[in-house]
Amino acid sequence: MSFAQIVALLATGAGYTVLVTLACIATGLLTGLGIALLGRLRLRGLGWLLRAYTYVFRGVPVLALLFLVFFGLPGIGFNVPPLLAMMLSLGLVTGAYLAEVFRGAFEAVDPNEIMAAEAMGMRRRQILLAIEMPQMLRFSVPGMLNEFTTVLKYSPFAYTVGLPDIMKQAMALSATTLRGLEIYLAVGLLYFAIYKSLQFLVRGIERYFYVPGFTRL
Amino acid sequence: MSDWIGFFQDVVDYGPQILQGLGNTLLLWVVMTITGLLGSILVFYLTLSQHRLVCRLTDAYISFFIGTPLIVLLFLMYYGLPQWGLRLSPFTVAVIGFTFNVAAYNARYLRAAYNGLDQEELEAGRAQGFSSRQVFLLITLPQSLRLAVPGLTNQAILNLKDSSVAFLIQYTEFFAQVQELATRNFQYFKAYLMAGLVYLALVSVIVIVARQLERRLVRPIGG
Amino acid sequence: MALLEVSGLVKEFDGKPVLNGVDLSLEEGQVKVIMGPSGCGKSTLLRCINRLVEPTSGRILFRGEDVTRPDTDVRALRQRIGFVFQHFALYRHLSALDNIKLGLRKLRRMSDAEATDRACHELRRMDMEEHRDKYPAQLSGGQKQRVAIARALAMDPAVLFFDEPTSALDPRMAREVVALINQLFMDNVTMLCVTHDVFLARYISDRILFLDHGQVRAEGDVEQLLDAHDDPQIRAFFGPGTRAR
Repeated sequence: MSFAQIVALLATGAGYTVLVTLACIATGLLTGLGIALLGRLRLRGLGWLLRAYTYVFRGVPVLALLFLVFFGLPGIGFNVPPLLAMMLSLGLVTGAYLAEVFRGAFEAVDPNEIMAAEAMGMRRRQILLAIEMPQMLRFSVPGMLNEFTTVLKYSPFAYTVGLPDIMKQAMALSATTLRGLEIYLAVGLLYFAIYKSLQFLVRGIERYFYVPGFTRL
Repeated sequence: MSDWIGFFQDVVDYGPQILQGLGNTLLLWVVMTITGLLGSILVFYLTLSQHRLVCRLTDAYISFFIGTPLIVLLFLMYYGLPQWGLRLSPFTVAVIGFTFNVAAYNARYLRAAYNGLDQEELEAGRAQGFSSRQVFLLITLPQSLRLAVPGLTNQAILNLKDSSVAFLIQYTEFFAQVQELATRNFQYFKAYLMAGLVYLALVSVIVIVARQLERRLVRPIGG
Repeated sequence: MALLEVSGLVKEFDGKPVLNGVDLSLEEGQVKVIMGPSGCGKSTLLRCINRLVEPTSGRILFRGEDVTRPDTDVRALRQRIGFVFQHFALYRHLSALDNIKLGLRKLRRMSDAEATDRACHELRRMDMEEHRDKYPAQLSGGQKQRVAIARALAMDPAVLFFDEPTSALDPRMAREVVALINQLFMDNVTMLCVTHDVFLARYISDRILFLDHGQVRAEGDVEQLLDAHDDPQIRAFFGPGTRAR
């Protein structure tokens, strides 16, 4: 079997790797944005809850959380399918990290512009959506790319809960061919290619929304 | 409630193995945090090289290890190298794999810190007649390290959490022992919950120590 | 009836009075300047009137309506007061045109075409139409200020507030502001301007208010106040060198 054939066989798992990565990124973006927005609104009594969330989900290994969700929850009556288990572990952890990225980016928004919008008579919610969010997201790009990369790098954990991603294919293949060296080298190159595509995609989006005068944080 | 009492009884019975696992986790953490830091200093030095090829190669190194999952590297060594007759222990594989990985990340933090340095100070060092190696060791490195402390401590926390990955290559660290306990008494939920809490507690300790460190090292420069 | 009638306005921050019983009235079509040393409460006064800062006590009548009451529609009040900030506070992520359109779209609920028309009209008035697609980072200080004024005027405000309009500009640009404000005065725009720029005050206004330690120390014509006032402190503030400036 040639190296090219190995890569081709492994690539059949790439779809699942991408699926897991995107699903967890989406979960992370949703929770991260939610937490950052709620934090920005400074709702009373909610602050400590948001801080606790980010603290806990940044303090526990993804693997421990994944096992808790996938192997632990059925024990108390909740059966969680594999992809959902990934979203509830890796996705929620990513949400906690992204919330920090967004929080920092919100701080970079000029308070004078917010005051100008207030002086204009805009509502708090309008200001958040029309002024703060668009700026915050532009400031966040490098941090988001970092977190998206991390999601991709932890996505192989999906094999431990039975999803047929690249890693799972590689393990099956190396068990039958005993050519782990080439196989895992090919796996590494595949992930690197996906990483580069992800980077390319994010940079493209960043360029599309480019506005002069925004420096990367 | 009686469930939990029974579970803790199991934990106590299995205590020695769990403690041994915890010891292995901490051992791996300490070793990789140190080797990763030393490795990153070397990589950082190479990124400052005048040779284009050296710069290119170190950039490629950093980019590759940041873009590839650590677990692939561990599997490559653990399941791939025996093909060449090279059988490494799980601990050795973990230390090598983590070192490469952590060094790449730390080097990036150092590089970012370097870019934030006052370039005039570095020029002053060169103008005073220090050799480029002396400038690196006496000025560039200490200042970059100090500025990179927040990033480096963050990485140290990640290191502790990521050490759990080593259980996938049969290193009998803490998480592996918890797993073992769970398969004995079938109390998966309680076992993993306990594991999560232990990691959270350890991370909290690192956070507290790191804050002290940052207070001492970062403020004098930043303020 | 005066457009704006402030009486006994007090604002305390942590028990310290910043405004200590300010009285002020502004007629329709009038341009009034508030001067005073830094920290005298000038900016706070402006911010109290549109309730960006909550006054501690006192009364503000806006076209005869008390706007300090708890049930006042603060956002409606603010929409009637155009505010030009010291550093202009243009929204960095929006082009000059979109900066002006934002309020028209979100607050006036205009259609996109309508808002564009209106925004272009205001940009033309400020001689800025050719820069409509530039972002704030691509504009000079003077240009930013013109966009900020256009943004405020587009909302058809009853009055325009200026907070230190010359302090963020280089001296040559600062001179142009005089012409700009006089042009607006010709168009019958009511304006209240806070500044410590004596040159600006002299050439844009017939009425000047001198604020010190949160109180109106003097109010009068340009000549009365700038040239020969009895109060030594006011003379010291304006100083002998100010006319040459």
